[in-house]
Amino acid sequence: MTSFSFGARRLWLATGFSLALSACAPMIATTPATVELMQPAATAKRVQLLAPAQVKLDTGYSRDLAAKSTWSQVGRLPQGDVYRPVGTILTIEGRHVHEAYLVVRNKTLVGFYLPGEQNYSPLTTAVPLNLGESE
Amino acid sequence: MKRIARMLIAGLAVSSLLAGCASGVKHAEMAASMPTLKPGEGRIYFLRSASMFGAAIQPDIRLNSQVVGESKPGGFFFVDRTAGKYVAAASTETEKTLSFMLDAGETKYVRSSPSLGLMVGRVVLELETPEKAKEELASLSYTGDQVKAAAK
Repeated sequence: MTSFSFGARRLWLATGFSLALSACAPMIATTPATVELMQPAATAKRVQLLAPAQVKLDTGYSRDLAAKSTWSQVGRLPQGDVYRPVGTILTIEGRHVHEAYLVVRNKTLVGFYLPGEQNYSPLTTAVPLNLGESE
Repeated sequence: MKRIARMLIAGLAVSSLLAGCASGVKHAEMAASMPTLKPGEGRIYFLRSASMFGAAIQPDIRLNSQVVGESKPGGFFFVDRTAGKYVAAASTETEKTLSFMLDAGETKYVRSSPSLGLMVGRVVLELETPEKAKEELASLSYTGDQVKAAAK
């Protein structure tokens, strides 16, 4: 009986702790950003991810970028080139969820452009990407 | 006697759960009556799986602070909006917003899913891939009023 109540208490504590964490996820760090758009959009450069990549966010969440996923360049920021996913979507998550485009410099993911807010969110740890040209 | 009471309670529980589910026209049946997009506008679908988990949590869905519909298990609705920046949220205990960009002629899919909150359940919004959303939409029921209003 004692071991059962001890176990139940630990379970409650663990549940409460995980709920508290999920409710208090940190905000995504952002700075205002204005993308210099590519013209014309029809001839936008496309790249393909040749190997999968995992991105760990400072908020504790992570995102997997799939191999063979295609990305179309929509513009440029001072931090790097901006690519949006083709045929799929990407979001990053903290206290809120944000649609995100990749910001790539020298084949390295340095951060995200958040088109719904026109903000840039830097990555603390940049992620090398195995990128190839796409048709 | 006990067995009858148990069956009665189970029946009531099941019927109350079912009453909470969306029961309108299926997406596949209304595809022909869908209004076409106006120039400069995009479409945002809001959908929710027909799971019984958290079925009692059915908050309003807001888009740029305006209520556009309700999150119901097994239901979907859509709104057409001019291209631009949008923030969607469900009115539950903890507000976790979803921000995204809508382009002209584009269709975005927003999935609402119940999850555990600190005091009560909550509904979280996420962008869904077109591939997964289209696959699931066929079996979901329409809970909006845009199609009815357009037909009037």
